[in-house]
Amino acid sequence: MDILSQLVQLVINGLLSGAVLAMPAIGFTLMFAVLGFPNFGISGHLAVGAFAGWVLNAVYGWSIWLVIPCGFVAAGLVGVATDALVFRRMRTAAPITLAIISVAVTLFLENALRFGFGNTLRTYTVPLTRDWQVGGFRIGTQQVETAAWSLCVMAVLFCVLRYTQLGRALRATADNRALAGVKGIDTQGIARLVVFIGMGLAGASGILLGIDTSIDPLIGFRIMLAVFAAAVVGGLGSVPGAVLGAFVIGIAEEVSQIVLPAVYKSAVGFVLILLFLTFRPSGLLGERR
Amino acid sequence: MSDKLRISRRGLLQGAGALSLAGLAHPLTAWAQATGPIVIGTLTPQTGAGSIYGPGMRDAMAAVAKEVNAAGGVLGRQIRLVSEDDQTNPEATVRAARKLIDVDKAVAVLGPWASSVAAAVAPVCWESKTFCAIVGSADSITKLPHQGFLVRTQPNISAQAARFGKLAIDQGAKSIYFMGPQTPFTQIYIDVVAAMAKAKNIPFASEIYDGAKTSYRTEVEKALRAKPDVILLGGFVNDNAIVLREIFRAGYKGKLIGFGTGVNTKLLESVPPEAVEGVFAVTPSPALDSKAYQRFAKLIGNANPGPFESQAYDMINITLLAIAQAKQATGPAIRDAVRQVSQGGGTVVDNAVDGIKLISEGKKVNYDGASGSLEFDAVGDIVDAKFKIEQVKGGKLSTLEIS
Repeated sequence: MDILSQLVQLVINGLLSGAVLAMPAIGFTLMFAVLGFPNFGISGHLAVGAFAGWVLNAVYGWSIWLVIPCGFVAAGLVGVATDALVFRRMRTAAPITLAIISVAVTLFLENALRFGFGNTLRTYTVPLTRDWQVGGFRIGTQQVETAAWSLCVMAVLFCVLRYTQLGRALRATADNRALAGVKGIDTQGIARLVVFIGMGLAGASGILLGIDTSIDPLIGFRIMLAVFAAAVVGGLGSVPGAVLGAFVIGIAEEVSQIVLPAVYKSAVGFVLILLFLTFRPSGLLGERR
Repeated sequence: MSDKLRISRRGLLQGAGALSLAGLAHPLTAWAQATGPIVIGTLTPQTGAGSIYGPGMRDAMAAVAKEVNAAGGVLGRQIRLVSEDDQTNPEATVRAARKLIDVDKAVAVLGPWASSVAAAVAPVCWESKTFCAIVGSADSITKLPHQGFLVRTQPNISAQAARFGKLAIDQGAKSIYFMGPQTPFTQIYIDVVAAMAKAKNIPFASEIYDGAKTSYRTEVEKALRAKPDVILLGGFVNDNAIVLREIFRAGYKGKLIGFGTGVNTKLLESVPPEAVEGVFAVTPSPALDSKAYQRFAKLIGNANPGPFESQAYDMINITLLAIAQAKQATGPAIRDAVRQVSQGGGTVVDNAVDGIKLISEGKKVNYDGASGSLEFDAVGDIVDAKFKIEQVKGGKLSTLEIS
């Protein structure tokens, strides 16, 4: 395989990896926009969704297509519960305080899953399929399905945010919570809804990731750096930015392997976070504040 | 001078009195150590990553101590086993080892399982002249200046890598590719197998990946570009689960060989069966056909004791035999006698009870254990290690050979 073909294959791989990152990155950035802090609890909720899906699929035999929305709802409800129990009374606390608490929430959820399910890897009952060979390039069928799910979710979310009353209320709260409250918007309700959507997206992506690999209580922890990097690169608070950032991170991690040993793959996310926070803190599509 | 530092005459006299009493007590303590129970410390992972193995190792050693005590002990003294948890954590291990040696006065510390833990405990033992038997397999540990106080019952990484490479060559490999996560051992695996492949003119390539990722598509593609017919998997269960899926999706038709730490029943439970069918696994093995293994299985009431339990059984047996041989229960005495009872001819024994009896009759013994013949080289590594070769057939691991 010549270098150009190799590059094309790596970009394909990167796009497919980026599609997996996009959904939790959207959830992360949406919550950042409305709640004003980086909620690392997304990592634990991703695992909650993955395990909820596993129980329904592997234990009760539900179809994977039914299981994905259920994982969304399960992680979303757990998100609303953690928000009500932990974050609601601390809306005005400093972002760094809330970020640290969100790490504690993730640790709690991951350990609760470990207590209930153990550390063993688990797999969904989904048949493993061979990749398609298209024009000499390898494309994973499962990854294409994951990308399709991500694109559908993004499209729905975009329409909701852009064209509905709810979307306008949500954007208004993100822009200025106090002013939105004065205008009669139920900002606490909006915050709950955003947490439900954000954590729900994380939960659904946990199932998609689990179908592609296997699941264990630390499944969210392993992907968290890349999700955070995607949100930072795209611009914290920007939904289209999170999608773009996810694809940039996915492609950068894969293409970097032309020149870097595979063992440094994680370093690519760190370097991009560093570069963007130093030279373009607003990210690719974020607004300068 | 502050009041706190001023020493009164009464205080000085009290201190001198206490010191005198301590001095008087010292011979009594020494006498108690020479005539009371012989303290053996077990330091195994009861918590942390090694916790699935530690309890079995501890119980194996307790079973031997119990049967030796029931037969009258060693040198007319009972064995007192003091067990500590190394937590699979070097820092906790050092604290536990200090407690065993300084407080409990253990003459031997047996069992450290992880390499990081074994490397941490080794200096504590040799500096306090305490015998130590470990599992931890990093080559570097037995190269430390341990003055003979250390032996290892597990084959070292180089020995494991050599068996890995041998299986690849035995399978008729025409091109070998090694892929594994970044660990302190990965480069040793690569160097050993690369040298073996070179000696046979077999093309060899390798890559080290980040073991905590959720996708290895590009890494697998890189492997397949080298067109190997044997891929060696140096990973653990978590990364192997993803790598094997990718290899299957890519349509690879060659052979796959992994270590037992990465290809085992846990992997079979976490990967669709089609992705793992036909994969070989190489695992250090107990000497399943040996009398010692069968006796050990009966002793603990478990038909299939694992490799680490078997090694723990051997560790305490050779320690007690060395004490009987040296007629002294001290670290240096065990160090000097351990090879006299484990190798070099004599009546073959498979347990400490029989061996102690023969030694008391003035006979030379040669202990052959549940984990192997247990012969140590100059630095404390075992010379002859057994490996179990398994293959996944019909979704289950089937043993092909033990050699």
